[in-house]
Amino acid sequence: MTDMTIGDVTPCSRSLKRVAATLKRRRRKQALLQWIGLGAISIAFITLFILISSLVSTGWQAFSQTHLTFEVFVDPAEISAARLPRGGFDDALVVSLGKLLENADMSDRDTARAVEGVLSNGAQFQLRDLVVADPSLIGQTITLKVPVADTFDQLNKGLIDRDTPEALRRVKNREIAWFDELKAQGAITKPFNLGLFVNADSRFPELAGLKGALVGSFWALLVCFLIAFPLGIGSAIYLEEFAPKNKLSDFIEVNINNLAAVPSVVFGLLALAVFIGWFGLPRSAPFVGGLTLALMTMPTIIIATRTALKAVPPSIREAALGLGASRQQVVFQHVLPLAMPGILTGTIIGLAQALGETAPLLLIGMNAFITSAASSPFDSATALPTQIFIWADSPERGFVSRTSAAILVLLGFLVMMNAVAIYLRQKFERKW
Amino acid sequence: MNEKHILTAFDRDLDVIQGAMIKMGGLVRISLSDAATALISEDTNLAEKVRAGDRAIDALDQKVKIDTAKLLALRAPTAGDLRFVLSVMEISSHLERCGDYAKNIAKRTIAMAGGCEINGTPAALGRMSKFAETMIKDALEAFIQRDVEKAREIIARDVEADQIYNTLFRSLLTHMMEDHRNITVGMHLHFIAKNIERVGDHATGIAEQTVYLVTGDMPEDDRPKQDFVTPASEGAEN
Amino acid sequence: MNDMRKIEPDVTKTAAKITAREVNVHYGDTHAIKNVDVDIADKTVTAFIGPSGCGKSTFLRCLNRMNDTIDICRVAGRIELDGRDINHKSVDPVQLRAQVGMVFQKPNPFPKSIYDNIAYGPRIHGLAHSKTDLDEIVEKSLRRGAIWNEVKDRLNQPGTGLSGGQQQRLCIARAIATEPEVLLMDEPCSALDPIATAQVEELIDELRQTYSVVIVTHSMQQAARVSQKTAFFHLGSLVEFNDTDQIFTNPQDGRTESYITGKIG
Repeated sequence: MTDMTIGDVTPCSRSLKRVAATLKRRRRKQALLQWIGLGAISIAFITLFILISSLVSTGWQAFSQTHLTFEVFVDPAEISAARLPRGGFDDALVVSLGKLLENADMSDRDTARAVEGVLSNGAQFQLRDLVVADPSLIGQTITLKVPVADTFDQLNKGLIDRDTPEALRRVKNREIAWFDELKAQGAITKPFNLGLFVNADSRFPELAGLKGALVGSFWALLVCFLIAFPLGIGSAIYLEEFAPKNKLSDFIEVNINNLAAVPSVVFGLLALAVFIGWFGLPRSAPFVGGLTLALMTMPTIIIATRTALKAVPPSIREAALGLGASRQQVVFQHVLPLAMPGILTGTIIGLAQALGETAPLLLIGMNAFITSAASSPFDSATALPTQIFIWADSPERGFVSRTSAAILVLLGFLVMMNAVAIYLRQKFERKW
Repeated sequence: MNEKHILTAFDRDLDVIQGAMIKMGGLVRISLSDAATALISEDTNLAEKVRAGDRAIDALDQKVKIDTAKLLALRAPTAGDLRFVLSVMEISSHLERCGDYAKNIAKRTIAMAGGCEINGTPAALGRMSKFAETMIKDALEAFIQRDVEKAREIIARDVEADQIYNTLFRSLLTHMMEDHRNITVGMHLHFIAKNIERVGDHATGIAEQTVYLVTGDMPEDDRPKQDFVTPASEGAEN
Repeated sequence: MNDMRKIEPDVTKTAAKITAREVNVHYGDTHAIKNVDVDIADKTVTAFIGPSGCGKSTFLRCLNRMNDTIDICRVAGRIELDGRDINHKSVDPVQLRAQVGMVFQKPNPFPKSIYDNIAYGPRIHGLAHSKTDLDEIVEKSLRRGAIWNEVKDRLNQPGTGLSGGQQQRLCIARAIATEPEVLLMDEPCSALDPIATAQVEELIDELRQTYSVVIVTHSMQQAARVSQKTAFFHLGSLVEFNDTDQIFTNPQDGRTESYITGKIG
């Protein structure tokens, strides 16, 4: 029978049979590979999802802030125009608040103190600022909207379990009663927490905001960009277009690639020793932070720029050279404009990395507790990642959600920067 | 060639070749008509001129051959262009042969000069020559105009030329049988007649090239052969 | 025999535009061009043919010193343009390239408008004194590039939006815009379809009235169609240099015959 088949089968169909025999195995292998790939992507996505959802679940509360709105009598007995900005602002607040609470015996010092505890510590400063700005308010009754203290904020957001025995609870029963009373009067609101973005850091979670960190990060990134971008592009152009190809340029190239892989904390140590130690630049200043980040970002920009320059088709260079353009004209009139989208993309990704960098900033002291935003790159400031670091270290409960919120803000900025990079690449990508 | 090539130099080259061929056709016709005139009027000077004129025709043939070879080598013509170039080569050969026949007629005219003559035959040959010459002219026109109908008509016309030749052949044969002194002149005149008949055949050949050029196929050789001059009939006459 | 193309100037009588003597080119350790002597006539299309890697492109690039841009390339020998040594220190390659234009294998318009593509050369060389001057140069160049009618209504659109053949003619027009005396073309049709190729070849044939054109081509048929003189390169040497019809009907060297008849590659 075998003889028969072999005799009948043409060489062509014989090889076809052999191919068919291996086909099943090949298909199985391909399917396996596809499943492995799919599995890897799924794991990555699930991890990312868990990360983001945990951040959102803890952080979303921080985007709103419980406020108390009530009438405050600016008592001339406590506050006099002559003593401004000093005065008994806290007493005025407590007295006014006490009037809203029927069951509170304001003559009792303990009770009065407890009532005062409902309000944020920042409330008296808010009132003070108002009065200082307009002393004619003394003796009048004004409507004031102030944040409540962190514990009551948490109570309002349901983060404090009312069923817990009173002794183990941070808020006492009578305080809950006062709060509920205020709430029943409609004095309690929970608007969007603008303070998160416009306030600087504070020891009190309900007052703490990211402004200082945002401004600090902005200054640092600006300095970083202004230094790393021109230097990076300049060196990349020189290395790619003008440098002779020899051992020295090879050596430089290898080292630039190595530099991109150096751990960031090493840059921090370097900055600490050189910029602060030798040059005596101020500590905690975004300028120094920017310099440090520039050191880290530059290799990224150089590598991205060189890749973008290499990607410009040689035909364009030849065309320009063939028309009699000089080397410099070729680079600046043809190659660089064509490489710009790639360069910008690389730069933005480098800056996004720099934005999230923590270790070097910690080393140069950008994790200081600073309650005002920096007005110049030489003022002390924190940056977004270091602010997160500080808040994560803080013992107050209110900072837990704020840490998550800050991380979300940071991630938001990173996503935005990457989106800009993608947009630039799509928009300016040329077809040739 | 109604449509132009994108490469105008190609058109120029084709025009040059066609021009040389047309010029050659003109020279051949002049040679034929001069040869006939010389024969009728026993003008040996004119006959000499015809003999000398063949050199120009041969030169033109050479030129057409070289040019077509160059065109084949440099332009790699295809389809209609290829058929055109091949046809021109063929036609050039036909015309060159016709030139040779005219020259041969002139040579025989010179050779016959002063000899006795056979009454009326040169005049008949003149008419026959005119007929063949017209065929050449029409065949070339048909080729240039890519006129297949006209070409087919010319192919059909060859029968007529053959008939004229056959008539002349019988007449000459009769003359030679009547008087053997007529044989020398008769043979000369017969060869002249044969030459003219061959010119007609070449005109047919040219016409066939037109059919080939336009249709891509050679016409089937179905024209009736009315050959009365069979060895059998000759034998019977003997 | 030479009067087959009546319009052609007699190539044997026109003066040599470029004279190359004993040209040797080394690419690192490779001896790419070996002792090449060539006279390139004015108002003539000269074709360089030969198998891949025979050095024809390399030699072409010697003629406007494009090889200068390659670090490992060394050119020796004497190349004269109108009797002047182009490798002499006093000759600026930038100036030379304005004089000896080049068109490349792949159509490579700049990703700019059609107008800017043409205007680029005149701009960098300061050939136009005013906007109207420049407009004039652009129109003239596009007309000579046989592409004016196709692009006159869209001069502000990108040159990269044209078809391959149009792009290549745009590139030729761009090369013409700097008023060169010699046009070098490195396989200008190898990326084009047959119709576009024919259009470019027709253009080359017209340019011959004004310029000396040197074309490197892989296609022997193209060399046969457009050139009057053909040089056959093999393994870095110039094997045969003669009238194109001679090369293609009766080559003198056995290697030329073998190559053009498709027996060696």
